Amino acid sequence: MGISVKNLVKSFGTHTVIHSISFDVADGEFVTLLGPSGCGKTTTLRCIAGLDTPSTGTIAINGETVSDPANNLFVPPHERDLGMVFQSYAVWPHLTVAENVAFPLTVKGDRDVAAGVAWALDIVGMSKLAQRRPSELSGGQQQRVALARAIAARPQLLLFDEPLSNLDARLRDRTRLEISRIQRELKVPALYVTHDQTEALSMSDRVIVMEAGRIVQEGDPRELYQKPVNRFVADFIGGANFLHVQRVGRQWQLENGSPLAVDPTTDRDDGRSKIALLRPEAIRLDEPSVPTPTGQNRLTGRVVGGMYLGPHVEYIVEVGADRLRAYSRSALSPGSPAILTFDACDCRLVDDTPLTEARSHHA
Amino acid sequence: MDRGEEGFRLETPAVRVRPNTIRRAAANGGVLIGLYVVVFAVVAFLALVPLAALVIGSLRDTSPGMPGQWTLANWANLVSPGVVETLLTTLAVAGLSTAFAMAIGTALALVIHRTDFRWPNAMTGMLALSFYFPSFILAMAWIVIGSPGGVINDILREFLNIESFSVDIYSVTGIIFVMVLHQVPFVYLTIRGPIMGMDPSYEEAARTAGASPWRMLRRVTLPMLAYALASSALLCLVLTLEQFGIPVLIGVPGHVTVLATQIYLLCRFPPTAYGLAAAIGLTLAAITSVAILLQRRLARGDRSVTTTGKAGKITPIPLGVWRWPVNLMCGFYIAVSLVLPGLILLYTSLIKFFTANPFDATFTFRNYLYIWNSEETQRAIINTIIVSGGGALVGVLLGVACSYYVVRLRPTGYRVLDALVMLPFGVPGIVLGLGLLWAYAYLPLPLYGTLTLIVLAYVTRFLPYAAETAGARFVQLDRSLEEAAWTAGASRLSGVWRILMPLSLPSLQSSYFLLFMAFFREISATILIFTASTSVLSVSIWSSFEQANWGFASALSILAMVLMVAMMSLLLWAMPGARRR
Repeated sequence: MGISVKNLVKSFGTHTVIHSISFDVADGEFVTLLGPSGCGKTTTLRCIAGLDTPSTGTIAINGETVSDPANNLFVPPHERDLGMVFQSYAVWPHLTVAENVAFPLTVKGDRDVAAGVAWALDIVGMSKLAQRRPSELSGGQQQRVALARAIAARPQLLLFDEPLSNLDARLRDRTRLEISRIQRELKVPALYVTHDQTEALSMSDRVIVMEAGRIVQEGDPRELYQKPVNRFVADFIGGANFLHVQRVGRQWQLENGSPLAVDPTTDRDDGRSKIALLRPEAIRLDEPSVPTPTGQNRLTGRVVGGMYLGPHVEYIVEVGADRLRAYSRSALSPGSPAILTFDACDCRLVDDTPLTEARSHHA
Repeated sequence: MDRGEEGFRLETPAVRVRPNTIRRAAANGGVLIGLYVVVFAVVAFLALVPLAALVIGSLRDTSPGMPGQWTLANWANLVSPGVVETLLTTLAVAGLSTAFAMAIGTALALVIHRTDFRWPNAMTGMLALSFYFPSFILAMAWIVIGSPGGVINDILREFLNIESFSVDIYSVTGIIFVMVLHQVPFVYLTIRGPIMGMDPSYEEAARTAGASPWRMLRRVTLPMLAYALASSALLCLVLTLEQFGIPVLIGVPGHVTVLATQIYLLCRFPPTAYGLAAAIGLTLAAITSVAILLQRRLARGDRSVTTTGKAGKITPIPLGVWRWPVNLMCGFYIAVSLVLPGLILLYTSLIKFFTANPFDATFTFRNYLYIWNSEETQRAIINTIIVSGGGALVGVLLGVACSYYVVRLRPTGYRVLDALVMLPFGVPGIVLGLGLLWAYAYLPLPLYGTLTLIVLAYVTRFLPYAAETAGARFVQLDRSLEEAAWTAGASRLSGVWRILMPLSLPSLQSSYFLLFMAFFREISATILIFTASTSVLSVSIWSSFEQANWGFASALSILAMVLMVAMMSLLLWAMPGARRR
């Protein structure tokens, strides 16, 4: 059940934007397609909705094949029984809030439209504004109407195309929670497309990271953050520092010769070029005079600059040829030396894959 | 879980409608594909038949429908001294009219929208009214005023006893004068948008850099409007090149011939030369098409005028000592283009024998009574209302269908459809009429002598406007508005009907209004294809004026304009969308 995508390919003319991807969304699962713009995530979603026609590959919704070009099979969007929320909201300006929400019920010939509208508006907390025109609503309210409209006819599948990207930051946080809650209540599979890692990490049961039309990695949010397979994923999800390293004998060391202890589970000699990933929050940054615990990596660097952010100061520190971000509560002046300490297990080796290599590797 | 638990009364309302089983891709929107084929065929028929008939006609040595031989003589005759002279006259008249109309129209637009002129709204309203003043009625009024036996000469002779000086409207100058009066509102209306949409910060930057208001106009405003001005000038040139009503009424008695009237004369007066008329028609269409292609290229390349949408408050330029000269200029234009012609027609319609002195005149209502008693005239009025009301609807619907395919669905061959829709844009009305005349002499379709043929001609001529208006609206509407309807369970057709059409309604209404008004006063496309039973008001007015029945023609004109204003008000009241212009 849920969604099943197999070997999906989408080309526009000679230009291929999706290179044979496969994934499933289980019943009731919230899955996010995450990636930079142009990675093919929205096209994938639109193929599932039936708004774009795939070139090859199959798509099944709840066990029923809805798209299979090889067998000349294509179920148009209005027969796929889905609810979709668009980036632009796409709330129809000539209809009231209630009429917008009633639309999917009336076109599907529902018997009790009024009850369906009341239910959907209640869920998104817009009951009081039912008779308003969209032009009288704020962006956040319009997005709620779009959400109510998407769920009104109880679709068997919910699709979200960057629904929060036009909202301001605070509204985005609130709506994020709301969407998660509604999806859990409805217990339907949901596929969510975004380029925002915070949204992906906070809402999803599972995240699929895409790049240049291919799936780079998929897993639950914790796994993706903690165990990214390559530099691209590490960089895209969360703040990341990279240290250029080289193998000398059985050891790894920085380009300036300092030895570096890395997470042994990642220390595989598979012939691919490696780079060390170090999250800013794993680094302890001190003045040289402060004594530091032993048994850890200890590097000396030079403070380049700092930004006061309130809870802490974010510093840029130069270690050899690499520049790292690190947080500290103490005041360090630019140009002064600093000591960076971190656990070996926080320093992971990942594939240092430029984009082209990532493609051939995962093809 | 405050609202959450309530949310769990999930079992209540919705009846699950299962999607139908598997469908083939082709089955999706079969109706739309079918309609596409029909629309494509209709548009191809409308656009290509008259042109193909003209090409064939230009190669025949007889009249339409007569047995004859193939010949190249018609094309050879294009370089005869008579035709060449007509061509040069046409270019001179169109060029000069455009130059004057551009100067006056642009000046008016700048005065109204850039200075502290006192009555901008009144002036805009008057200009819009005079935009709808039919060109051939304007020409008639000015013939009454300026012909050898007209008002001005009467005054010169009878009141001032001046014999040495007289005016004669039946001249090149007369044609240009009336054409300029007629084109000024068009120039104003096309320049107005770019002027109002201009980002005020460019002008403010010039002012803060120390430029005087007039220097700013010369160095910043006008150069920034260069594209808009050039594009307006080209369209104005096209309209003056194909203008028929003015040169036929003024030019024919004065022996001044332009291409459009020569086509008419060759078809209407023996010895007729339909083949040569066809060759001239194609030549004229080629000239106007080149101008239109140039205009489109210009319009596409226009990046100089930034319409930011936030049309900020612009500090108006103080007119100062120029206030009264400017006021006089505006008043003069409205007087000669609108008020004076209207009053003269009213006066002429109410007197028995023409005299410029109202105290010598015998007033009578007989002209109006004659309308009341003339079945022929009543039929013309009813025909006009049917053709304008129904024809405009057909035109708008066809335009909408074309735009939907060209802008939205883009099926195979949509570019061809786009080109076909735009093709009649370059074909002058008289040429289109001639094409249809040739076509229906050969085509085995019972259309000649029917109102349908007139509607066909009008729809063909104005389809580009209808399609462009609808297309501009569709481009503005985000695709996701329709996609949201599909994902909500609506078929493509239902999405068009329930989402796209309601959202485009204001544009469609304004397009209907424009077409209605254009159809109401159209004469050039009708003049060669009307018959006694399919005569329309414009033709009736024109033919009674041709028969020197000034009084009756004036009465009919007054009636036509009263009808137009009534229809305008009715349409504007019924269709709020048409008000935005």
